[in-house]
Amino acid sequence: MRIDSIDKLNRWREECRDNLGAHKKKIMVCLGPGCLAGGSDEILEEFIKVVSDRKIKGVSVEAVKKTGCHGLCARGPLVVIEPEGIFYSKVKKAHVADIVDKTVVKGELIDKLLYADETSGEKIVDYRKIPFYARQKKIALRNVGQIDPDSLEDYVARDGYAALARVLTGMKPQEVIDAVTASGLRGRGGGGFPAGRKWATCAKIDSDVRYVLCNGDEGDPGAFMDRCIMEGDPHTVLEGMIICAYAVGSGQGYIYVREEYPLAVINLQKAIEAARECGLLGENILGTGFSFDIGISRGGGAFVCGESSALMKSVAGEIGEPRAKYIRSVVRGLHDKPTVLNNVESYANVPVIIDRGAEWFASIGTEKSTGTKAFSLAGKVNNTGLIEVPMGITLREIIYDIGGGIQGGREFKAVQTGGPSGGCLPAEKLDLSVDFDTLTEAGSMMGSGGMIVMDDRTCMVDVARYFLKFLVDESCGKCVPCREGLFQLHRMCERICEGRAEEKDLAIMRDLSEVIHRASLCGLGQSGPNPFLSTVMYFEDEYLAHIRDRKCPGKVCRELITYDINDKCTGCLACISVCPVDAITGEKKKKHVLNQDLCTKCGSCYAVCTYDAIDIE
Amino acid sequence: MVPDLSKLENIFESNPKEPGSLIAVLQDIQKEFRYLPVAALKETARILRVPLSTVYSASTFYKAFSLTPRGEKVIRVCKGTACHIKGADLILEQLESGLGIKAGETTPDLKYTIEVVNCVGACAMAPVMIVNDKYHGNVRCDRVLRLVKKD
Amino acid sequence: MLLAVIRRQGIDIPALCHHEAIEPTGNCRLCTVEITRENWGGWKKYVTSCLYPVEEGLIVNTHSEPVMQIRRTILDLQLANCPNAELIQELAAEYGIHETSYEKQPEGDNCIMCYACTRICEVLGCSAISPVNRGHDKVISGPFGEAPPDCIGCLACAQICPTDVIPWSDKDGVRTIWDKKFDLVACKKCGKTIITREFADFLIERRKLPREYFNICDDCKRQELADKMGGIISQAEEAAL
Repeated sequence: MRIDSIDKLNRWREECRDNLGAHKKKIMVCLGPGCLAGGSDEILEEFIKVVSDRKIKGVSVEAVKKTGCHGLCARGPLVVIEPEGIFYSKVKKAHVADIVDKTVVKGELIDKLLYADETSGEKIVDYRKIPFYARQKKIALRNVGQIDPDSLEDYVARDGYAALARVLTGMKPQEVIDAVTASGLRGRGGGGFPAGRKWATCAKIDSDVRYVLCNGDEGDPGAFMDRCIMEGDPHTVLEGMIICAYAVGSGQGYIYVREEYPLAVINLQKAIEAARECGLLGENILGTGFSFDIGISRGGGAFVCGESSALMKSVAGEIGEPRAKYIRSVVRGLHDKPTVLNNVESYANVPVIIDRGAEWFASIGTEKSTGTKAFSLAGKVNNTGLIEVPMGITLREIIYDIGGGIQGGREFKAVQTGGPSGGCLPAEKLDLSVDFDTLTEAGSMMGSGGMIVMDDRTCMVDVARYFLKFLVDESCGKCVPCREGLFQLHRMCERICEGRAEEKDLAIMRDLSEVIHRASLCGLGQSGPNPFLSTVMYFEDEYLAHIRDRKCPGKVCRELITYDINDKCTGCLACISVCPVDAITGEKKKKHVLNQDLCTKCGSCYAVCTYDAIDIE
Repeated sequence: MVPDLSKLENIFESNPKEPGSLIAVLQDIQKEFRYLPVAALKETARILRVPLSTVYSASTFYKAFSLTPRGEKVIRVCKGTACHIKGADLILEQLESGLGIKAGETTPDLKYTIEVVNCVGACAMAPVMIVNDKYHGNVRCDRVLRLVKKD
Repeated sequence: MLLAVIRRQGIDIPALCHHEAIEPTGNCRLCTVEITRENWGGWKKYVTSCLYPVEEGLIVNTHSEPVMQIRRTILDLQLANCPNAELIQELAAEYGIHETSYEKQPEGDNCIMCYACTRICEVLGCSAISPVNRGHDKVISGPFGEAPPDCIGCLACAQICPTDVIPWSDKDGVRTIWDKKFDLVACKKCGKTIITREFADFLIERRKLPREYFNICDDCKRQELADKMGGIISQAEEAAL
């Protein structure tokens, strides 16, 4: 069915809304990455089977919908019954029949599956009232967790492609650029460059060919926002790109998806095919004469390909080695043509900016960081998951009000943002505003949205070592400051963790960091020393403890700690079976013995002991 | 084990025959054969009109590819930040001691390969381990080998 | 690019990966300079002069302390990686580094990863060798670490290499480079070896030379021409008499 006019699109939208409204109840099963890891695909299958068996009036099999990430991954697998928003958490396949028979058919709640507040124990039925959800504001994630990503009808019913229709029939390209500029939208991939300015630069260059690229590489470890958008609401990415293409004058675009996200590739491909079939993508879009098509380019497993020039090399089939960007890729990009490269989340915001207006968007957030930002909240926080909040919210509000505080009642130590280019901020900085500039001034950066919370059992020197090792692994290897400099910086950091460093090493590391930052060819190298610099800025005493006292306050660095079994041991054999080097011996119900000579300090025994019988010194 | 190169025909038909398809073609070959056979790489250079040295460079630059056969079960241990602070190292240690190989290696019977991946995007369920395409979240180090050996 | 202007001014700064025959890539970072503008309020940027375009109003400092620190540290790092490379030892010494401050890398050769060899090979049209692996394990090699099928034995890579890392030999009519053996074409007149058969065929095809072009070496060709010229002159002299 080709939609070759706005009228047809509007009529179809009404149809889609009617069809959705015909379901008396909808059973939304979250298939986001977290819930999927908990087996939600089997839960979905079970729902389809049970609903089809039961033949319930007003609730057909089409009422069972798989969705993208609903958000509160910590409580997954999640199932939501609409329209009431009944939120069931930690659902198992065995619960499905009950949910159908009791909740869907009779409207009864299953108490043990309801969300209970961590401290008060209060049960909250409607997920929209749970603090985790209530405090968010969804723009880029507006459809994620609410629609079946495979369904173009779901997207259209929720105003999908209305913005595109308005742009193609009622706005000149320059007007679109003006709207995006006025909205204040800054690149959501972490760079924070004003999107409108980028589009304007590209449009002005005299060229017969221009490209529109979407950066779906999301390499920052700890970040999965873009994955959820690509998997959960692929059409918003397409719509954003088509609007951009119209604004700058491009006929071809690509979405670069990292190799580790095969489901994103599948869902985007399905969306592309569905949009093409309806005439919303490809030749003569909506019958307006504007043509633009999108292809998918898959990454090969290289973090450096998130860098714009490396990404474009990879799309062209070459190895992803960045080039010096004195001539920016918006001027000379893919195949040496002017290219707009924006992040997945950036494009996801564009249709809403057009629909609701630049002024509305700019009224959210702060003056210099307008709109909202998606974050993946992970680490030692209670409510790990996917969130979207207005810019200007504080770290404290995110971690405590939304995140529910630190797991196990432990103490907050640091929050890491910005991936390997970012840094760690301590408790004194929790009231800082989260936006593009404030965190950078404090020595970290907001980044693409990965936010990892750390407690007192984290060693900040180990965190620096971890990030430096990551960068050494991912460095393309072309330039000396990054390839050799980060390598040596990592080695020095390792020596600190191993208790073999001297105080003068810190000064050498600081000097080396300065050179790596100034002299590296690309952003990976230039921001490479940040993990070290930010941790040594706020946690210097920890570094000195490792160097001077050969102690690891976080009790993580293996060479500096010892494990032993205390009298609380009940002889349950759990640690014996898990020890990878067979360093523990003992019999059932007798206190076990740890052989210090064999012990590698891995901590497996500590991880499995439920009697608090393992001490770490 | 001699790879059946007739399968390459399909791969070259479903990708545009131009240099830009290199990585997509290599991924298809990797998926089909569980590694990149030398003969397949030479064919790729010929059909896509790309220097063999470029094909080889790409095979060694991108971590998705392997020049030696991978096992039937590829176990990916996520070493993203969230997984790291939640004990990804413990999972790796269990695998290495239980299967007798190190990360990046394959068991001699070609049954298991251990790989370390830098973040798979399931951070809220850290630590994460993927066995072929099956995700496992909140993995406890004492359940690792059981999870790997079942199915 | 800035480097051309800097050199024209007679200022000497190292630029190991730079060569007129190939496009600059900015690998070695040694030609880094400090740039600023009057309206930058004192803010400075560090760029590689081999790639940075010349612009009106740029204020360039080739030897400021931060720039010297950059060059020193890079040479120090290179010294840790290639402790036996004479060129690096000399340059490092010029910048006051006689012993590396970092952990020495025991194995490996003197390759400074400038890519001059792979770039010249690409320019010539062969692309026989390329950078292999990623990051610290990067090496230059032929495909699969074997004799590169596309190599024609022209020696351009060996000649352009700033640290003489690429070994080659001509012996008994056979050239060996990158573990590949080439038969050398010998001059039909004096027997001296001129060029590999593969390189000769390559040039004959690409430059549309006559097939017999490499049958005689340049020296013998010059001698032939001289003899011919001599013959013409003596004929003319005779005719004049």
